[in-house]
Amino acid sequence: MSNAQDSRLNTNFVEQGARKRIEYVLDSGSMRELVTPFDRVISPWLEVQGIVPQFDDGVVVARGAIDGKSVIAIAIDGSFQGGSLGEVAGAKIAGALELAVEANQAGESIAAVLMFETGGVRLQEANLGLAAIAEIQSAIVALRKLQPVVALITGPVGCFGGMSITAGLCSYLLMTREGRLGLNGPQVIEQEAGVGEYDSRDRPFIWGLTGGEQRYTTGLVDDFFGSDVIEVRNKVQEYLRKGVPDTFRSEAIQSSLDRLKNVDTQHQITSEAAREIFAKGASL
Amino acid sequence: MQTNTDSGHNWFSRRQNKERRMSDLSHLVDGSIIPTENIVAAMEQLIKPGDKVVLEGNNQKQADFLSRSLAKVSPDKINNLHMIMPSISRSEHLDLFEMGIARKLDFSFSGPQSLRIGQLMEDGLLEVGAIHTYIELYARLYVDLNPNIALLAGFKADRLGNIYTGPSTEDTPALVEAAAFRDGIVIFQVNEIVDDVSDLPRVDIPASWVDYIVLADQPFFIEPLFTRDPRLITPLQVLMGMMAIKGIYAKHQVQSLNHGIGFNTAAIELLLPTYGESLGLKGKICRHWTLNPHPTLIPAIETGWVESVHCFGTELGMEDYIANRPDVFFTGKDGSMRSNRAFCQLAGQYAVDMFIGSTLQVDGDGNSSTVTRGRLAGFGGAPNMGHDPGGRRHSSPAWLDMKPDDSLLSKGRKLVVQMVETYQDSNKSTFVEELDALAMARDYKMPLAPVMIYASDVTHVLTEEGIAYVYKAESLEQRRAMIAAVAGVTPLGLSQNPEVTAQLRRDGLVAYPEDLGIRRSDASRDLLAASSISDLETWSNGLYKPPAKFRSW
Repeated sequence: MSNAQDSRLNTNFVEQGARKRIEYVLDSGSMRELVTPFDRVISPWLEVQGIVPQFDDGVVVARGAIDGKSVIAIAIDGSFQGGSLGEVAGAKIAGALELAVEANQAGESIAAVLMFETGGVRLQEANLGLAAIAEIQSAIVALRKLQPVVALITGPVGCFGGMSITAGLCSYLLMTREGRLGLNGPQVIEQEAGVGEYDSRDRPFIWGLTGGEQRYTTGLVDDFFGSDVIEVRNKVQEYLRKGVPDTFRSEAIQSSLDRLKNVDTQHQITSEAAREIFAKGASL
Repeated sequence: MQTNTDSGHNWFSRRQNKERRMSDLSHLVDGSIIPTENIVAAMEQLIKPGDKVVLEGNNQKQADFLSRSLAKVSPDKINNLHMIMPSISRSEHLDLFEMGIARKLDFSFSGPQSLRIGQLMEDGLLEVGAIHTYIELYARLYVDLNPNIALLAGFKADRLGNIYTGPSTEDTPALVEAAAFRDGIVIFQVNEIVDDVSDLPRVDIPASWVDYIVLADQPFFIEPLFTRDPRLITPLQVLMGMMAIKGIYAKHQVQSLNHGIGFNTAAIELLLPTYGESLGLKGKICRHWTLNPHPTLIPAIETGWVESVHCFGTELGMEDYIANRPDVFFTGKDGSMRSNRAFCQLAGQYAVDMFIGSTLQVDGDGNSSTVTRGRLAGFGGAPNMGHDPGGRRHSSPAWLDMKPDDSLLSKGRKLVVQMVETYQDSNKSTFVEELDALAMARDYKMPLAPVMIYASDVTHVLTEEGIAYVYKAESLEQRRAMIAAVAGVTPLGLSQNPEVTAQLRRDGLVAYPEDLGIRRSDASRDLLAASSISDLETWSNGLYKPPAKFRSW
């Protein structure tokens, strides 16, 4: 019931569940979900560990069109097991991307949009989750040569663990202010490094290092914008139109290594120090 | 002439007593200023065993340097104090009793320390005078609890003792007056002492009321107690909010009101610019408010729903927003908020159409309490606002709408709405056979059960199931049936007779969402004008500065 006169009442993308996110990004009426909850492909591992499974295993995969262009759209549901990836959830993503690669090789034109909301591997399905993430990554590397693969991180969960590497492999990586991107999650780092070094409850500090604005300022993502659904949809369209980029961020290995050498591990890293290090290096 | 009169009676004993205590202090003070390091020694000089001591504990302003210092005095020198405290929130407040410095306690609210008060009572270390409501406690300061000492908190003082309380004036005026004009000794802790009165943003308490000021070792403790993150509002709370707006606010034309803290009422605040707007209610309901400056009220203010807000105290992060909305909030010439709990509670008691709040337990008759076993949480101000003041003489459409008939001799009523989900978080039914407060009264041999809102004051019970218009009940039996009809699958709810409930709905005594034209499936978070703290910041044009613990960027 948005009030058309007042732009402040527009719908917030961050608020939307996985299925709704896909609906908002796709052209109206074009969404066709694959392996739907009615197919009841659930994780066989959760129930035996006392966890109630979900009929979509926390991942929504759909075919549809964006701006008239045929795409596969994938969204992870951060509210189910923290968006973690196990056997089924991982296979749904990997399978969809692999089919897109095959279709493109057969002459069809299908791009991909991924909406991440994930802590990475689902610990209850550790090895299977890890294997699935590897498959997802190799599928992205294959597809990105043929079609743009656009990734979106809006929060509130963010994108962590193996899936943060997956995000780094995509053709274009887009974030909003509440999104976070990092290899280890804040609590994991705090547990390993101690609360003195990394206080996971210090929210400005956490977002100062891993939040969308910082990731954009340090050049680790391609764009940074507001979380209104219209704005998000326009940005996804804009980056799909850019097509396959000339170079990929994940290929800039040497400049990344050079920057890592500049990190002073004797002192507490700050948002400003990180920006300085990234500003020095060559553009990605 | 401060000596004996003809009758031989000394009418000046209180004043002389005060002067004696103060005259012995000259070696420890510099004019009105007690040097920070001398505070404990000064207290040992000024305070005598058995004194009645007011200690300012508020929501947003704590005389915490003074309370920590009082806990350091020697119990051999100072003991058996009678503490009078609006709010007990800090552990040293109760250390005083454990150490024998204090013995008796009159208070209003004890949220975080509620468990320990019960333990100290059991151990025989603490004797409770009474658990008051806020207005009641202030009032007794002027009757039989005249303080010998008032330990208060301000933001800044000049060297003479003029006080700027900061935006959280809260209880200070009510507490200081009882001591200053009854020969009590008034001591203020402040965060900063400036040279001249012109260096103060404004004067909230004049120096002639103040005996001593002391610079605190650190600024007083403050935390954002009234901020509710919209992200945590559930679709169920949205449904209840829609029912409240349509079935209560609009139905009775509620124009002035108090909202308690909680996600239920936060949802209502965020539904006004969306759902309320779609019902065409702007300007017709919710124009005047008495409450702390909830950040979730920002969208309603920005869209022109809110004409005035008077506050008990402020809220961390809202300072700049308030300073830039003086048409809405009460502010000083300096721009910062001037709050006043005593006046705001009085306003909430006498001047508003409606009180709406949550609670932890409701019995079948509609009595409610936030006391659960072993926790003596106190009342705060909810009973002041959550009752129908019989002395009210002015009318308003909502108040008149509660009149049982058209007789010129019958009165209207304040709306007192209990808004609860039928189950609390931990699968605990909100509706109970007997309130824990009764068991508590028996355990602690209290003369009264600590009931928050009495059934006789409640006009509406609102749950996710529907609204019971209990003010219309014609008998106690019917009232119980109405409450059972909205009690869902709790034992009370399951005891309802479906035929009786159907009749109650036909008679308009109970309304379910469908009776109000509300589809349960429409109750989505999308209806909230702001879905996150970030949205609230955007609504405020960056004037609201969310405290770090609420930021997710």
